[in-house]
Amino acid sequence: MDSFSSPSSGSPPKFSTDDIMTQLRTQLEQAYAEEFLETVRGKCFDKCITKPGSSLSGSESSCISRCIDRYIEATGIIGKALFNQRH
Amino acid sequence: MDPSSMNSPELQNLLAQEKQNAMISEMISKLTSSCWDKCITGSPGSKFSSSEASCLTNCAQRYMDMSLIIMKRLQQ
Repeated sequence: MDSFSSPSSGSPPKFSTDDIMTQLRTQLEQAYAEEFLETVRGKCFDKCITKPGSSLSGSESSCISRCIDRYIEATGIIGKALFNQRH
Repeated sequence: MDPSSMNSPELQNLLAQEKQNAMISEMISKLTSSCWDKCITGSPGSKFSSSEASCLTNCAQRYMDMSLIIMKRLQQ
């Protein structure tokens, strides 16, 4: 199977359920963060960099920071709309 | 790894919980993406206008209504 279960290593190291869950949570959080980053990149690029120039302009950078804030806010609004108020 | 620890009911419960969390956050992120495209048409401002905010809320709730209709329709 895997390297941990090779007979030469004597008694296999035991991972507690807590270790496994901590590991899993960390990896999930990382995956969520990466996915979120990728989405925000796409959305804010579409909104703010409409005509790419030779350098990033001041108005483009401020558009990007507003866009990031609004996207985070939108995620909160959607979450609330789905789970807090049902009719 | 001790294979028996993978089968502990405790771990299975936690995994089921995490699976549900993953489904919920995937749904929120997909819906945010498509409602953003529908509702935020201009360049993003320093705060949402009330029409943008209510569009986002409506967008999410109508999506739920639609899901219900689709499920009912497919159950027939």
